[in-house]
Amino acid sequence: MTPMIDVTFLLLIFFMTVNQVSKANREKMPLPPLAGSQDQSDAELIINIDRENNIIVSPRFINLNELAGMLSERIQDAGDQPERLPVLIRVHRDADCRMVNRVMAMLERYKINRVTLGVEVPR
Amino acid sequence: MKLTNRQHGSKLDLQMTSMIDCVFLLLIFFMVTSSFNATERELDTGITKEEAAAQQASDLAPIIVEVVKSASGFVFQVGGRQLATREELTDVLRQFDNKLDGAYVRAADDVPFLLASGAIQACKDAGFLKTVYAPQGNAN
Repeated sequence: MTPMIDVTFLLLIFFMTVNQVSKANREKMPLPPLAGSQDQSDAELIINIDRENNIIVSPRFINLNELAGMLSERIQDAGDQPERLPVLIRVHRDADCRMVNRVMAMLERYKINRVTLGVEVPR
Repeated sequence: MKLTNRQHGSKLDLQMTSMIDCVFLLLIFFMVTSSFNATERELDTGITKEEAAAQQASDLAPIIVEVVKSASGFVFQVGGRQLATREELTDVLRQFDNKLDGAYVRAADDVPFLLASGAIQACKDAGFLKTVYAPQGNAN
């Protein structure tokens, strides 16, 4: 029985780990070192903006048109209630505001107002 | 009297398999639980048109914090005052009474995001309940 129990535990831990990784769904990038105002919440949509102002919605690079299509779909999934769609925007700490302004303007057009910005607690 | 069944000269065999299993399990456990990444938090900001109605109802206009380019680089601007650091901005914002009306943060395209997010953080630190990031050209 012992080897079987061992294998079972190993598989259990493996799946727990994989599950955590897939849930994280966040690009690895340095975020602004700020204290923030709230702990991490479960965002329906995580929009990453890298240093070169590329939009990454894990795991692929998308443009603004594709993002617009994605937002429409998500709003539809949320029962056509954009206020029920929490969005997290994670921006590279060395990026400028060009793409942030465009994405924010788009979210405003879609009447999405539950928006949070990702920050990194300084050590 | 016979105290043990072990015969003299028999080999003591160690069960290595179980030990290795335990070691691997512990290794995986610590790999999973150890966190080498910085703790991530969030800055809540709204993009809401509801603010416009609230703005009309109130006598006091909401605070607008802009990040602008000056001769010495990018600075925070509140009304006519220009402030170089986030700490100065926080101190100035703390002096305002109309914190319930919220604050708007605006930044032009070429402004580093670090400063824009710093301005939002300053508003939060100063006690503004709602801080709205207004994309350039869409504020008010």
